Amino acid sequence: MPVSFIVQMAVSGALMGLVYALVAYGFQLTYATSKSLNFGQGELVMVSAFATLSIMGTGLPYPLVVLLGLLFGALLGLAVERTGVRLALEQKSEGWILLTIIIGLFLFSFAENVWGRDDRPFPTPISSQPLNILGIDVTPVELSVAVGVLAVMLLVEAFKRTTLLGKAFEAVSADRDASELMGISATRTVMLSYALSGAVAALAGILVSPITTVGPTMASALVLKAFSVAVVAGLESGFGVVVVGLFLGALESLASFYVGSGWRDAPGLVLLILALAVRPTGVFGKAVIRKV
Amino acid sequence: MLEVKELYAGYGLSEVLVGTSLTVEAGAVVALIGANGAGKTTTMRAISGMIAPSRGEVLLDGQPVQGLPASKIARLGLAHSPEGRKVFAPLSVEDNLLLGAFRHLPRFFGFRKAGAADLAHVYDLFPRLAERRGQLAGTLSGGEQQMLAIGRALMARPKVMLLDEPSMGLAPVIVQEVFRTIRRLKAEGMTMLLVEQFAQAALEVADHAFVMERGRIAVHGTPADLRRDERVVAAYLG
Repeated sequence: MPVSFIVQMAVSGALMGLVYALVAYGFQLTYATSKSLNFGQGELVMVSAFATLSIMGTGLPYPLVVLLGLLFGALLGLAVERTGVRLALEQKSEGWILLTIIIGLFLFSFAENVWGRDDRPFPTPISSQPLNILGIDVTPVELSVAVGVLAVMLLVEAFKRTTLLGKAFEAVSADRDASELMGISATRTVMLSYALSGAVAALAGILVSPITTVGPTMASALVLKAFSVAVVAGLESGFGVVVVGLFLGALESLASFYVGSGWRDAPGLVLLILALAVRPTGVFGKAVIRKV
Repeated sequence: MLEVKELYAGYGLSEVLVGTSLTVEAGAVVALIGANGAGKTTTMRAISGMIAPSRGEVLLDGQPVQGLPASKIARLGLAHSPEGRKVFAPLSVEDNLLLGAFRHLPRFFGFRKAGAADLAHVYDLFPRLAERRGQLAGTLSGGEQQMLAIGRALMARPKVMLLDEPSMGLAPVIVQEVFRTIRRLKAEGMTMLLVEQFAQAALEVADHAFVMERGRIAVHGTPADLRRDERVVAAYLG
């Protein structure tokens, strides 16, 4: 087997892994302000992708379609915060776990009823004619995934590190009561993080759908991998999810080729179990994960 | 500047404050003293909105603020340096201070420039914080964290500042330093409500003092009045 072929497999897999990283980053954003996650994040990706597809049907120019898709994701994120998370957090309960799972199930049925059960192609103006870069075939669509994921993560990280509002995110996470005393509204900060997380989920859907097609079942496959990535990397490090995402993507692609396509999902689950057994704070994490 | 009228508040079903009333005039330092469990910290928390009072009124600069969220009250000009300091441990000293000024700094860019004058004032007050501006707040000593908590409250340019137990758990030398700072802030015209275990020290800086017992004000007056009150002397100043 030529080495270049192995590299080819690894690179295509790694680019897919960046999508897991982006969905995992959506987990991190809300965890950072409220120590809560949306377990229906995968359904947010799927429903936003479907919604974007419907918006595309109106014939608007592609950049505007993407923008509206992101906006839809942000609004959906806000809806999850309002219905599934806020009341639970106010009562210092873990109820958000069940509530976000339920919202996910609801969105799944909603999508099946509105858009049907079949996978649908997701048209994009970006070409899928492979380019040859250093002996490896990469399509512009795959490249758009890499560029989109990294650009958005850099943008959000820059916001968190260099703006006062971004620092307020960290303050709310460190001490909710004390941030309130500084005039920082904890509720609004958590809302903003859910909106950002929703937009990030929509972007993941828009980037991955031209490659995988859109269908109600894309949610569960994506979220499981993304969850593995988030746990293995730790829920704090944006850099960590990129590294682990790339690694897992490459590993999956190689496993499905060498061991058999039925084994595609195995590496993610093995890594998840290993991480929980050996290093529950994640490879790049600091804080101890609270057991509930 | 700050007026509390017949305030009732507590946690769950247990009512801690049962009709507390007090007044803080503009530019005055007012001490709130009393035994543990008398309701001093609860009073502070009910004023700043950390807990919602069930009855009564809190007027900040004449405006009723009871029942508003704490962040709203803070934006109206009340700074509360809470019991136990509550600095943002994973953030640097300077970021802690800048967040203290959240209510009047730009949210996105240019906040460092806009906050420079306030930072300079706090660093002048606490040169130790200037030395440690890049250090994470969680790695500071207890005394330094207290200075940071006071500095952070000052950054807001508040109309009224609440200081809850600024001397708690500190070495005597540091306690003296904290009181020197309070005196200096008083000279600068800051309006303060101070909760203290060290009643003697508090009475030395205060213009007026309120003594709390079981959720309401038992006695109040100038420090000189209280020193003449045998019961107060026996219970708190003896």
